[in-house]
Amino acid sequence: MIETTVFAMQVLLLVMGCLFFAVGTLGLFRFSDTLSRIHALTKVDNLGLGFIVLALLPLAPSLAGGLKTVLIWAAALAASATSAHLIARAVHVRPEPPEAKESADD
Amino acid sequence: MQPASPVVTFVLRGAALFVVWWALTLGEVSGLGFGAVVAVLVAWLSLRLFPPSGFRLRPLGLLLFFGYFLSRSVVAGLDVARRLLSPALPVHPGEIILTLRLPEGSPRWLLANTLSLMPGTLSALLEGDQLTLHCLDTRDPVERDVRETERQVGRVFGLTFDHARGAAL
Amino acid sequence: MTLILNAVAAFLLLTLLIALIRIWRGPAPADRMLASQLFGTTGVALLLLLAHAQAMPALMDVALTLAVLSVLAIVAFVTRVVRIDRPSSGRKAGDQPETHHD
Repeated sequence: MIETTVFAMQVLLLVMGCLFFAVGTLGLFRFSDTLSRIHALTKVDNLGLGFIVLALLPLAPSLAGGLKTVLIWAAALAASATSAHLIARAVHVRPEPPEAKESADD
Repeated sequence: MQPASPVVTFVLRGAALFVVWWALTLGEVSGLGFGAVVAVLVAWLSLRLFPPSGFRLRPLGLLLFFGYFLSRSVVAGLDVARRLLSPALPVHPGEIILTLRLPEGSPRWLLANTLSLMPGTLSALLEGDQLTLHCLDTRDPVERDVRETERQVGRVFGLTFDHARGAAL
Repeated sequence: MTLILNAVAAFLLLTLLIALIRIWRGPAPADRMLASQLFGTTGVALLLLLAHAQAMPALMDVALTLAVLSVLAIVAFVTRVVRIDRPSSGRKAGDQPETHHD
């Protein structure tokens, strides 16, 4: 009985995770400016990742395995927040990047 | 504020690093001895690179902040998702500049980074006590939310503010 | 459960690919750097799912590395491509980039 409940919860969490990742991708298309797209990527995708991590926790082989999953999640959260801030800072400091630079790098 | 004693900081950091090692190696017993040595070395190195600052973490404040952060980041994700799924795309992007009341160092850094995961805000530039935020919707009461987050961050470090400027308490 | 995990992983891969097409169109370099962030979240979720679905625990280490590296990619981009290190708007002399120490 408990197993079935846990399984149902896991499936629900996985579906929620998929939905949020899909909405995050939708955000890349619907938002027209870079900064708004960062909003979509950081907040929505992190929520999606959170649901996936919660769904995977009951599958962890040991306590250490579960803690490792949570640590990876925390690292991804910190990485996402830092990246968001850095890109936002770059766009804020220099809103129109030089086009010549772009073609030279490609 | 008095910085924490180096010995206490060393023990705490070493213990935290050892737990991380234990988790990352999936509790492998044969690696624990090596992990203990690495944890001690890294804790010693971290003391030299980042000596204990005047800010001490409050366990209760940290726990409360953790709960606040989790609930608000869920709200943040739902908020952006709601806007994206609405056909009218109700956004009104813009920037606001706030003067932070938190002191220099870890508290300001923690606030700026968590705000990027909070509803409607994205920290763009932190210069001194001036924080520039990009807001998804400037019609929202952004400043009120930021002040509440600021208060929560302050509590992590055992800091309180005078409430002359209308902070919620 | 393995089947479901694989299906979810495939779905995430699909959203990742669609997002990459959007990012490929740019136009600004900063838009393209969002790919790194995308890998930092969707990629990590994908790898965690595969670690369980394929019974390959080592993929969890890959996920951790990916999360950490995604930030480094952004740092490299911000300092080299956008040249944020060069003061552009009258910034104060005593101004220092935010550093983290606890």
